[in-house]
Parts: sequence; structure tokens; C-alpha cells
Amino acid sequence: MPEEAERARRLLPGAATPYLLVLPAAAYLALFVLYPMVQAVRLGVTDAQGAWTLEHVRRMATDLYFWPAVRYTLLVTALAVPLQVALALCIALLVNTRFPGHTAFLYVCAIPLAVSDLAAGLIWLSLFTERGYLNAALVQWGVLRSPFNFLSYEHPAWLVGAIVTTEVWRATAIVMVVLVAGLQLLPRDYVETAAVFGANRWQTLRHVLLPLLRPSLQTALIIRTVLAFQLFATVVTLSGRLVPVLAGETYFWYSLYRNPHVASAYATLVLLLSALFTWVYLRTLRPEGEGA
Amino acid sequence: MSRTVALSLVAVLAVAAAGLSAPAPEVLFTSNQLTPVEEQEWARSTLLAGFTRETGISVRFVTEPEGPYVDRLLAEARAGRGSIDVTGTLHGIFPVLVAERVVRDMSEVQRQLEARRDRTFYRDLLAVSRMEGIQAFVPWMQATYLIAARREALRYFPQGRNPMRMTYDDLLQWGQNIREATGERRLGFPVGPRGLYGRFLHGYAYPSFTGAQVKKFRSAEAVAMWQYLRRLWAVTHPSSFRYEFMHEPLLLGEVWVAWDHTARLLPALRQRPEEFVVLPSPAGPKGRSFLSVVVGLSLTRWSPNPEGAVRLVEYLTRPATQVLTLQGVGFFPVSPEAARVVPTGGLKVMAEGVSAQAGAPDARTALLPVGLGARTGEFVPIYVDAFRQIAIEGRRIEDVLASQARRLEELYRATNAPCPPPDPPERPCRPD
Repeated sequence: MPEEAERARRLLPGAATPYLLVLPAAAYLALFVLYPMVQAVRLGVTDAQGAWTLEHVRRMATDLYFWPAVRYTLLVTALAVPLQVALALCIALLVNTRFPGHTAFLYVCAIPLAVSDLAAGLIWLSLFTERGYLNAALVQWGVLRSPFNFLSYEHPAWLVGAIVTTEVWRATAIVMVVLVAGLQLLPRDYVETAAVFGANRWQTLRHVLLPLLRPSLQTALIIRTVLAFQLFATVVTLSGRLVPVLAGETYFWYSLYRNPHVASAYATLVLLLSALFTWVYLRTLRPEGEGA
Repeated sequence: MSRTVALSLVAVLAVAAAGLSAPAPEVLFTSNQLTPVEEQEWARSTLLAGFTRETGISVRFVTEPEGPYVDRLLAEARAGRGSIDVTGTLHGIFPVLVAERVVRDMSEVQRQLEARRDRTFYRDLLAVSRMEGIQAFVPWMQATYLIAARREALRYFPQGRNPMRMTYDDLLQWGQNIREATGERRLGFPVGPRGLYGRFLHGYAYPSFTGAQVKKFRSAEAVAMWQYLRRLWAVTHPSSFRYEFMHEPLLLGEVWVAWDHTARLLPALRQRPEEFVVLPSPAGPKGRSFLSVVVGLSLTRWSPNPEGAVRLVEYLTRPATQVLTLQGVGFFPVSPEAARVVPTGGLKVMAEGVSAQAGAPDARTALLPVGLGARTGEFVPIYVDAFRQIAIEGRRIEDVLASQARRLEELYRATNAPCPPPDPPERPCRPD
């Protein structure tokens, strides 16, 4: 017995330390993320008696809102995420030039980070409604003679535009923070070397900075895309259920229809889509030369 | 510095421990009513504070949307123990609570209340409180849905017609007149996801046009009704799809004529009582149908503090408290003693509309569906989805009604539930 303990103690520093250190985080993830996730998936494919069934998945797929929800979720993601990344990259590069007042500028740009998505939806709703600030301003300046209804069921494109605008405003900051951090980690030598070889700003950005930023871009894209699949409060605030999204349907099936099974089927679908896109980003944006 | 922190930590822990060891008398009261923040605030600081002042029993009031609200009750019922003492919810939810053995038979409490001789209860409310052989709840408050309109909109009301005897044709003509005169669509309905437009469809339009909520779902009368609703939608404000509480667009002036739950119209009347009128819901070919919403109180079977719980029920149903509730949140009394108090301001406007609706010679009361158990939440979406497909997506009415009727029939067959009044009492209910 004491011998064994002695051996274990000797073994510890070498082999077991990393596992011991990872253990708390792993236990946390297993208990609070993995276990609920397995439960949710199980709820989506079993009936009230616990028997295996595809009935809930079938109900989800034949629901009136299902295909519109899939379409709009992908559409909003495809429109908002590239805009967010492009805009965040511009802001990050601007901040990185360290112009006088760049810290204040950074903080101002980060303000939306502190606003919840519901509050963001309400802010933009108060801009876009018939009696909103935007209409009031446009009428005041003589651009419009009477208020224009931006949020009308007759113009779904306007609704999507309002949602994408709100999302870009709300979530560009998180991408920017990731990219600013990434830029600040890059050694100045690369940029200086490029300058020595006569590269102009565009060439430096295209051939030096962007390739080096790849890991940060990858992180930012994964975070943003996964969060875009969870998009919910802003959409519901601005468009009700006229522009259905997957996360919104999950909520409505749970809280309005009181059917946790179909809600779980939706949640599982969101999980699968998130996993798929993360995998695609990890494959396609793999840093060059690394691991090869 | 660190000493101060440590000392204050110890102090906090000591206070917490004291709280644990000697619990103050408390009642845990849950509800899915009074969920808007202002109403919660009112319930805690005015309604329940009065009870605590009188009895020394503090009340923890937890109000949540229907989903989590019912889940918590069911979870405690399945565990066989819990902390909820009293619960207050819609008449339509009680069948679930009775089936899952959540609530007690309240007959004894009812007898005690009536023995006090300061209150009686409306008989029709007591009648709906009995289910599965027990009295599932003591009536607490009631509400209905009707129309609020800006006074200035009345000048567009069809000539020679009486707004207090409005028909569905008048309503459509009214919307058209407004549109012709102003170029704008000023009728409004709460079609948003958490709006109550579904209640308009099954409890108002369907019985008024077809005489039934479920039985005539795909009848020729129903087809005519949907054709009418399409025309009505064309003069309805195009943002109606996101409205959930009609007092907001009414106060903004986006909407001039709005249909909604009394509690969701009242804030507008309260802010500007002289600007609004309240009108009964319209009448159709089969009468003026309206929903009567009954909210009841019941004790859980496992209530840790049943004495405190009964005292709370007594306090909440007392005529003076009923008047306070009407003034605070616009829910109407359940006893005639309280109803005799004449309200003022916006409430007076509302009360006149409510009595004009209930007292109309062609009035027909519809009740929320019961007996659908865990699948209660699926009833309203069948109507709202039909509306979406017919009015917004422009699909063929007969096709939509045929497919939605199949869902309705399956729902009733699976739950073996009776038709909700005014339909004939058939079980299971089956659309023709």
C-alpha cells in the first residue's frame, strides 16, 4: 500500500499533471455542457415513454416555419458575418495605426459589446418603426413627405436589412476585439521587412498581415457564425415571427407550444449546423505551414 | 483593508445563517399572470405589501411565462414536495394541474370564504372552477378582450351606424374609411408571436361567423369568414405582425383602432383617458362572441404553509382587494360586491366597454378550451398558422382549412377533449 502511494507520487509530476490540471475544466464542461447537450439530443429523438422515435424530427421538418427558419438563419448569417468581419478588420487596422485618441475610439467601438441582444433589438426598433427616430429625422429633413414603414410584412427584404444592420452594429465589436488582439501580437519586424522590400500598404496587408492574422480570423469567424445560429432576440423584436430563425423556433416550440421534444430537435439542428461550420472553418482556414 | 473585507464577509455569512435558521413566515405564490414588469412591481409593492402589513406574512411572488411556470409546478408535483404554496393562473391551465395532481380541492376553502359573508362569487365563474369532480380553484380575477379606439377615429365610423353595436362589416368599413381619408392603415391586431391574436380567431371571429370555435372549422361559413379576414388584413397596419401589447401602438398613434386583452389596452386608457373610447367586439352573422377569461387561485398539495396560503387567498378575493386589483392592473372583480364600486378615469372607459360587450342582446360567451392537457399549447397555433397561410402568404383558403382541420381533429382525438363552449358538448370534439 505505502509502496504504491510512493510510486504514484513519483509518477505524478510527469504523466498525470496535465490531466489533473485539465480535470476541473473537463469536469465542468462535462457536467454543464456535455450532459445537457446529450439530454437535449435524447429529448429530440425519444417519446414521453423514452422509446426511440423520429416523430419530433418529422414534426419539425413539416412545420410551417421550418424551411423559412432554415433559409432565413443561413441568409442572415451569410449577410451579417462577412460584413462584421470586414468592418471589424477596418476598425482593427485603424486602431493598430495608434493614431492620437485610438484608445478612446476603441472603447467607443466596443460599447455595443455591453448591450444585450434584446436591448439592441429594442434600440433599433425605436429607430425603424413608423413613429421611430429614423422616420422623424427623414420627415424633418424633407427627405420623406410622410413616414415610411420599414417594418412591414409587405417588404420582407427591408426586415432582413433591419436585422442585418442591427446584428452588424451589435456584434462587430466582438470580432474587432479578437482582431485587435491578434494584430497586437504580430511582431513589427514583418511589417518593417515588407517596407524594406518596397511593399505598399495594400501589399503589406494582403501578403503579410492577413496571412498572419489567420488564426485570429478563424477564431472570430467561428465565434460569430456559431452565435449567428443562436440569433434570436433581435430578430423577434424587429420582425416578430415573420422572419423565423432556428433559435426562435426552438424558443417558440418550448414556451408557446410547450413541446420540449420538438424544441430539442431544433436545438440539435442548431448544434449540428454550428459543428459543421466550425469544422469547415477549421479545415479551410488552417494556418499555412503549421502542423505540416 | 483585508481585515475589513474578512469582517464584512463574516457579517454577511452570519446574517445569511440567521436567515436560514429562523425563517420568517413566508408564502410562495407563483403565477403566469401579472408578468409585465410594471404589473410585477405593482403586485409586490402594493397588492402583496398590503397583505404583509396586515398579517406579518411575507409573500414571495414569482411570475413567469406559461412554459416555465407550469414546468416548475409539475416538477414539484413529481418530486412530491416543493416550496410553492399558492398558484394563480388561467382557468384553461387548471385541467393540466388537476390531471397532474398539482392542486388541492378548494371546496373547503370556498366554504370558509363564503362563511365570512362579506363576499359572494359570480355563479358562472364558480361553475367553470369545477372539473374532474373537484373545485380546482377559487375565482380570483377576470378579464376579456375588446376594442379600444382613439376618439378622433370615430368620425370615420360608418355613417348612421352605432359603434356600441358594431358589426364585423362596420369594422371593415371603418378601416377602409380611415384608409381612404388618410392613406394609412390604422386598424391594429396583436399578431406578434406573444400577442393574443389567436384568441381573436378562435374565440371571437369563429363563433361570431360560424357559431362554433372548433365544430365549424372548415365549413362554408368559415370560408366566408376567412375571406372577410383577408379584406380586414388589407386595412390593418402592416406592422401588426410584431405587435404584442396594443397599448404601445395606440399611444404612439400608429394604430387608431385596436383589439386586445383589457390588461394590454389599459395603460393607454390610463395615460390618456379622454383620448380613447372602449367598444365591444364586433358582431357577426351568428352573434357577438367574446371570450371570458377567468383567473383562479389554488393551493398546491404539498404547500409548506397552508394556513398562510389560505389567508392569502382570503385577502386576494376580499372585495376591497378586488377593487384594488381592478385599479392596479385592470383585471375585473369576481364578486358582485366589488363590482358595485364605480371606477373613474380610464377604468371607467374600460368598464363601460366591458359591460356593453357582456350586456349586448346578441352577446355569446366563449370559453377557453379545456381538456387538452399537456397539448393545450398546440390549440391556438392551429388558428394562427391558418391565418399566416391565408392572409399573409395568400394560399387557397379551402386547402389551408382542410390541412389545419386535420391537425385540430388529431389534437382532439388524441386528448379526448370536449368542444369548448359555445360548441355543442361533444367528446372528443371533432370539426365537421
